[in-house]
Amino acid sequence: MSDHAAAHEAPTSTGIDHKKLIMWLFLASDCMFFGTLISTHLLYRKLFPAGFTDAEGHQRFIQELFSIELTSFSTFILLMSSFLMALAVSAMHKGQLKSFRRNVLGVILFGLIFLGCQVFEFTHFYHKGLTIQNSVLGSTFYVLTGTHGTHVAIGVLWLILLYFYSFTGKLGGHMGALDVEVAGLYWHFVDIVWIIIFTAVYLVEYLGPYGIWGSGLPAAVK
Amino acid sequence: MSHDTHHAPVACKTELAPERSDLGLHRPDRSTGWTDWLTTVDHKKIGILYGAFAMLYFLIGGVEALAIRTQLARPDNDFITARMYNQLFTMHGTTMIFLGVMPLSAAFFNFLVPLQIGARDVAFPRLNAFSLWTFVFGAFVLNASWLFEFAHLAGWLDSFAWHKALVYTDFAPANGWFSYAPLSGTFGANGQAQRFTGVGTDFWIIGIQILGIASLAASFNFICTIINMRAKGMTMMRLPVFTWMTLVTAVLIILAFPAITVALIELMFDRSFGANFFNPSAGGQPVLWQHLFWIFGHPEVYILVLPAMGIISEVLPTFTGKSLFGYPIIVFSGAVIGFLGFAVWSHHMFTTGLGPVPTAAFSLLTMAIAVPTGVKIFNWLGTIWGGRIRFTPPMVLALGFIWMFMCGGFSGVMHSSAPADSQQQDSYFVIAHFHYVLVGGVLLGLLSGLYFWFPKIFGRMPNAPLGYLGSALVILGFNLAFGPMHYLGLAGQPRRTHTYHAGNGWETWNMVSTYGAYMLGIGVVIIFGNLAWTAFRGKKCGNDPWDGRTLEWSLPSPVPEYNFAQAPVIATRDAFFEHKHGAKKIGAENDGGEAGVHMPSQSWMPLLASAGFLFAGFGMPMMAMGVPHAGWVVIAGLGVLFIGIWLWALEGPGGYMLKTPAPSGAPAPAETVAH
Repeated sequence: MSDHAAAHEAPTSTGIDHKKLIMWLFLASDCMFFGTLISTHLLYRKLFPAGFTDAEGHQRFIQELFSIELTSFSTFILLMSSFLMALAVSAMHKGQLKSFRRNVLGVILFGLIFLGCQVFEFTHFYHKGLTIQNSVLGSTFYVLTGTHGTHVAIGVLWLILLYFYSFTGKLGGHMGALDVEVAGLYWHFVDIVWIIIFTAVYLVEYLGPYGIWGSGLPAAVK
Repeated sequence: MSHDTHHAPVACKTELAPERSDLGLHRPDRSTGWTDWLTTVDHKKIGILYGAFAMLYFLIGGVEALAIRTQLARPDNDFITARMYNQLFTMHGTTMIFLGVMPLSAAFFNFLVPLQIGARDVAFPRLNAFSLWTFVFGAFVLNASWLFEFAHLAGWLDSFAWHKALVYTDFAPANGWFSYAPLSGTFGANGQAQRFTGVGTDFWIIGIQILGIASLAASFNFICTIINMRAKGMTMMRLPVFTWMTLVTAVLIILAFPAITVALIELMFDRSFGANFFNPSAGGQPVLWQHLFWIFGHPEVYILVLPAMGIISEVLPTFTGKSLFGYPIIVFSGAVIGFLGFAVWSHHMFTTGLGPVPTAAFSLLTMAIAVPTGVKIFNWLGTIWGGRIRFTPPMVLALGFIWMFMCGGFSGVMHSSAPADSQQQDSYFVIAHFHYVLVGGVLLGLLSGLYFWFPKIFGRMPNAPLGYLGSALVILGFNLAFGPMHYLGLAGQPRRTHTYHAGNGWETWNMVSTYGAYMLGIGVVIIFGNLAWTAFRGKKCGNDPWDGRTLEWSLPSPVPEYNFAQAPVIATRDAFFEHKHGAKKIGAENDGGEAGVHMPSQSWMPLLASAGFLFAGFGMPMMAMGVPHAGWVVIAGLGVLFIGIWLWALEGPGGYMLKTPAPSGAPAPAETVAH
């Protein structure tokens, strides 16, 4: 940000920077956005607890599809990326540009690993017979997790641009730290949303002997 | 600041050295004319542009309404086809709500909020420009469907291969403004899903999506502005009521629009990629669309009406010479209306069979929402009571608002009773109800606001006799047009039906209703014509022609681009009225110093980023039409959007210093400020 603007950064009525406040407002709105998507998925899971029918006409259970180990791994990776993001923000507040770059590069890498896992998962599910067209489950699952993936991709793109911007020498001071912190707020939010999706879409399918919806694959068979 | 700067000339921005962005591009700060308007970040100019576009679309929506009424004037009429009728009522509703009322409210938000809170601009001036142009392009996309429709009717599209392959050829949206699934969606199982309607629905989906982005961006900006940019001493409970209602409206928008955004995404996936969200033959639940739509749709009603209520709360005190009766209660009621507005959506769906418990709960909550609304009405009456009423065009329209809105409210309470509602559902009674709320309420409120603030916006006074004539025609014509619909509805005339047979006893009142609609149309044209004439040629007036109460009236008319030469310091509610007639004066804070005040730089980037939506918005329906290579247009549009935002970030906030005619000490009353 130019020094010119930084010099005239007017104090706000609440003491909260405009950029931080508007990001919180955006996140409030995004809560409703993901809330609607997650509700759609859960409503349809309750209505059609049995899973889906694949191209050969076989009834398939959702537990046959999920690889809970892989998704747990990518969830862990995303959680750790949030930790690195916190370090990057902290480094920026202290003016340690090199530390910021190192950490933000880690966030980008972890974000890309998460996206890679999702691409793998989507391909894998597709080959196992779940498509966006052949069932309501396919529609809600791919659109919900795909929308989250798009959020992660936008975050990665944003952080890559911030990373390169830091080499121009213009990312610094209070405004620079604020820019990174706002990106951090977004990243943490996307992470938290994934924790909710991981719980509501993946984990609950393994509760009880037949999954939380009562018509899943019997636990004994797994 | 020394006394010799008291009448220092305002520095002209065209004399400033241009600022270069990181890429070496000039910010268009020094431009005039077209470039100035296309790149402006000034909230007042953005407000004027919002208002101009909104009035244009009001006229387009009005022509659509008159075509509908002409068709219904006589039984078994064939003025327009049933197909065209469906497109007309759909686009009439969509245009009036998303392209008429919401942008006109946004015009007031833009022009007034920074002035009323004592700020020099909104928190994010370029984001504000982005909201404006995104709205403009979204409106283009939505209305471009008419161009395709007319080209289709004229036979110009017949020679294209993709046109021959189309099953349904309604090019303008034809599902109603709520686009209920499954009509708007698909049917048929597993990859062979067919659509029920033509590409008009795709135009509608992408158009509303783009307009939603514009509304969301504007709302983030305005909440931030109101919470964070208040002048010293402007506590929340000293905010003018219009600003308060803007805040509540913006909160409603950011919480309600995501629901429709997701619903539109799901519908788009159904139509374009064969998903099954609302496809009944694959297990999709069309009623889910209704829920998602009305979770947005009911707060939307309050998004439309709360700004008008805010305007009325400014106009009534001014022309009665009294402060608003029960200010905290009015503010609290507005917030309660906003809160309850999220808990009543299913009253639009009583006839879908929700079961007794939800029906009773939504019925009860709907009745409850009448309480804060009634409280507001009584507060307005309390404001008028015992006041020295001055009849002016804005006051006449404001009084009309109270009366007509109350009628709409009464029929609304009738709908809240589920057994009564199931009789009235889909009949003209419903049409009568919501037009009393949206025309008798919202439109009268907005017209009142236009007459009230026009002298501030342009420094010119609209012609009063023409104003009275227009107001009288609007109020009379409106009652003639929509009053009989109560009767017609209860007598059984259904909504969304292009004609009716003679002998049902509906002939007389339909004819009366059509006469009323034309009278209303003539009234609106007179008012808009009067205002347009005023903007360019009207009689000049002083800075405070109405003896105004809030901060904007303390400024010169038209308002200079820096708004306040010195930041005001507020000691009371109705600050300017107290300043003129009471003991508590408006203070001043010399925040600019010798350098002057900091102004944001203009930019091309918001326009560029928004133009991305234009390409993507045209590309999506063309893809659905099967036009070859249309997918690339979508990708190009998203690319333009990205480049626009990226360059926007690189150019930084920017800004330049402007010397203002700063008077020493407290700001002089507006009449003596050098201008």
